[in-house]
Amino acid sequence: MLAASATTLPLFGALSACAGPDPLKGPPPLSADVRALLQAVTAEQNLIWIYKRTMASYSALAPSLGALLAEHQAHLAQLRGRIVEPPGKSVPATVTSKPAVPGTPATALAQLRAAEQSASTAQLRRLAGASPSLAQLYASIAASEATHVTTLTALARRNPG
Amino acid sequence: MDEQQASSAQPLPALQAALAAEHAAVYGYGVAGAMLTGTERAAALADWRSHQVARDTLEAMIVKLGATPVAASAAYELPFAVRSARSARRLAAALEDGVTQAYLGVVAVTDTTLRTFGALAMRTPANRAAAWRGSTIAFPGMGDSPPPISPRPGMPGDTVPA
Repeated sequence: MLAASATTLPLFGALSACAGPDPLKGPPPLSADVRALLQAVTAEQNLIWIYKRTMASYSALAPSLGALLAEHQAHLAQLRGRIVEPPGKSVPATVTSKPAVPGTPATALAQLRAAEQSASTAQLRRLAGASPSLAQLYASIAASEATHVTTLTALARRNPG
Repeated sequence: MDEQQASSAQPLPALQAALAAEHAAVYGYGVAGAMLTGTERAAALADWRSHQVARDTLEAMIVKLGATPVAASAAYELPFAVRSARSARRLAAALEDGVTQAYLGVVAVTDTTLRTFGALAMRTPANRAAAWRGSTIAFPGMGDSPPPISPRPGMPGDTVPA
């Protein structure tokens, strides 16, 4: 046991003054890396929601869109797999953006294309500060989303109405 | 999904590897293009030119870093015989996959500018690979597949300087 003395008390005081997490103030705030990862998870969930709603509204598009949806579900699984969840807690499957499905297949495809483009651009903003492994995952997903934009553009040409 | 490239990469070797992949693509499209006709041949020609531009860009970046760009090999080993339009399309897709994978290696560097360059550079070959393959994939560039074509042993330029 440390006995208080004229020499130890100043040392104890100095240690107490160190800037560090206070264990009595609850869990520390999320790091920027984790926040970016959670944002990526939410973005994927939003995209998946739009795909499912579009496919439900326009069943003729479902065969073509199903392959792209499956890839987004694979993205989501990989992103969620990178999150270390505390015991008993899990990342909520929250959809934060639920746009209405447009009135024609062509405009619905345009909405999906815009969502993919936006998602791909957002992945690039997550590169700075990410670990090399996570940066590669973001970049690969961004490239996948870029290929979806091209696929949706071609699909829109075949469904002009 | 492979994570072999997960550790931080050094800029120069990553750029040299991307350049080596571009050299291989330039060579490979010469082989593939010979088996294609019509619009596919025109697409192969456009892709071949695009890889030449990317090659020149990488060479300039490497020179700017004070290094000597890796040279193209005089000949490469193909992963399979290319004797038809179908195998030519397969080769083109494999070449683009190889280039995409090489640019993903650039994303593993810590420098944000190079990282972004690598991520942006992946998009075009990922799109071309999807076009030649006829379908998209979930994780372009990921995986532990070896380069689709490799320098034929003993040919000049078959090593990647650091």
